[in-house]
Amino acid sequence: MAQPILGHGNLQPASAAGLASLELDSSLDQYVQIRIFKIIVIGDSNVGKTCLTFRFCGGTFPDKTEATIGVDFREKTVEIEGEKIKVQVWDTAGQERFRKSMVEHYYRNVHAVVFVYDVTKMTSFTNLKMWIQECNGHAVPPLVPKVLVGNKCDLREQIQVPSNLALKFADAHNMLLFETSAKDPKESQNVESIFMCLACRLKAQKSLLYRDAERQQGKVQKLEFPQEANSKTSCPC
Amino acid sequence: MAVRSAQDDGPTSSRWDGGAGKADFNAKRKKKVAEIYQALNSDPTDVAALRRMAISEGGLLTDEIRRKVWPKLLNVNTNDPPPISGNDLREMSKDYQQVLLDVRRSLRRFPPGMPEEQREGLQEELIDIILLILERNPQLHYYQGYHDIVVTFLLVVGEKLATSLVEKLSTHHLRDFMDPTMDNTKHILNYLMPIIDQVNPDLHDFMQSAEVGTIFALSWLITWFGHVLSDFRHVVRLYDFFLACHPLMPIYFAAVIVLYREQEVLDCDCDMASVHHLLSQIPQDLPYETLISRAGDLFVQFPPSELAREAAAQQQAEKTAASTFKDFELASAQQRPDMVLRQRFRGLLRPEERTKDVLTKPRTNRFVKLAVMGLTVALGAAALAVVKSALEWAPKFQLQLFP
Repeated sequence: MAQPILGHGNLQPASAAGLASLELDSSLDQYVQIRIFKIIVIGDSNVGKTCLTFRFCGGTFPDKTEATIGVDFREKTVEIEGEKIKVQVWDTAGQERFRKSMVEHYYRNVHAVVFVYDVTKMTSFTNLKMWIQECNGHAVPPLVPKVLVGNKCDLREQIQVPSNLALKFADAHNMLLFETSAKDPKESQNVESIFMCLACRLKAQKSLLYRDAERQQGKVQKLEFPQEANSKTSCPC
Repeated sequence: MAVRSAQDDGPTSSRWDGGAGKADFNAKRKKKVAEIYQALNSDPTDVAALRRMAISEGGLLTDEIRRKVWPKLLNVNTNDPPPISGNDLREMSKDYQQVLLDVRRSLRRFPPGMPEEQREGLQEELIDIILLILERNPQLHYYQGYHDIVVTFLLVVGEKLATSLVEKLSTHHLRDFMDPTMDNTKHILNYLMPIIDQVNPDLHDFMQSAEVGTIFALSWLITWFGHVLSDFRHVVRLYDFFLACHPLMPIYFAAVIVLYREQEVLDCDCDMASVHHLLSQIPQDLPYETLISRAGDLFVQFPPSELAREAAAQQQAEKTAASTFKDFELASAQQRPDMVLRQRFRGLLRPEERTKDVLTKPRTNRFVKLAVMGLTVALGAAALAVVKSALEWAPKFQLQLFP
């Protein structure tokens, strides 16, 4: 079976046209793959994990979000340098009791981890240590990119976590720091750039799951791809 | 107690027998209301009949009836003074912050169009009820989603009665969700796939190979679907059903929903994300009555005790799994399954004995099972059987009902 090679221009977006041509021409060279990029979002209760993921995947700030129970899933297809990548975002419950036995399943094969804290709530920041332990406990490899997101920046007068403190923490743990607001429409680009930045890094760096666009009996093959490309990206970061 | 006379209609059947049309529907409804009141008025209260009414088509029909029947289903005496606390719970409770966060965000649970002031008042009551129950029952632990259950009771029966009802519920049906960890909850979720496997092995295999897990059903289970259904009428209809049944019925109902969506699932990409995404978005227009009767049938055909082994196998890593379930059953068979009791049984029974008990138990159901299997929509029979098994765990009154 012909396998696409990363970074050599063989990959094509899974457009309707692409699929149609597949039907006409069964040549396996035309194999269309969409890479899947899996991100897990973790952090204390009520720091805004759900809103952030909504903002990224849906574009808007939901005015009524509720406590997340267990794990929610959202996805968005983004295009980076002409390649379509499916970004899967796993939004998790913040309450401690859900972490232990419930969420572990969703740490498997993650490509990146987003840690979220609330800039107006110091405990959500100090608890990050525990979240990092939690993450390590689930055997997330050290090379998996991690970013730190301070949310609710629009509440300027209530800020408890100074940027320099957060930056120090991020540096110490080899993470990029973003301060943003899922609520503020002006910040929506910033929210997007968090996930896009991760997507870019991953596109450039790691093996991603490939989704075979040619579906056979509704089944989709998953292929692990070796790291191959280290193409220069035109990413914002 | 408000009582309406309805002595003419005999409580002979809870089934809607044949016929169609609006007038017919109204007549049936009227008849059911009469039957419910008759069961309420008989001395002693005919709780078995009330259970059948709560399960059969339409459930308990109105909130007015629910206010009277729910306490009976939970064996709560409405004349008892509601529990109160002299302490400042908001100061003292370790859970206050989490409860506050969850309740503040629970706007969607209140009827749209309710004045803000009224809603905020109810939210305060909601916090008070939760903290009070937690204070009085230190063995219970708050979980996100508990508030979705409590709000349902608050909206239907009001603060005072809600406190008594939810307290009872929390020490019975919800108790496993309120353990210090979610291990028992996870164990209950492990019943989902074996149930699906019994009915539709292909669907089961597809889901297994997608590695979808069971977390998509977590919020369904621990909120009794209160978290995921936006139409309150559907929520209370399900609560009628679950209050009348065995504590594991919600997992059967979850399985029935998955089975109902078989084609959608099989059309989905066979990967965790796609299947999880599909299943966690619950359709709002489910045929609830049909699904309820199907869940009842499944419960009768594949009672928990028959699935316990497979459910335990799903959780090989969990060393407590098998004994946990047995405890659950044992405790359920008792009138007050509190922690002391659980520990006592844990000490008394050796594992082999537990297993033996599990194996012998289903036989008592055989007759009912055979009667039900041939029926397509076996509402009446299934309802009856479900009632019987519910009575195995139900508090106190069961003894006088089945002499």
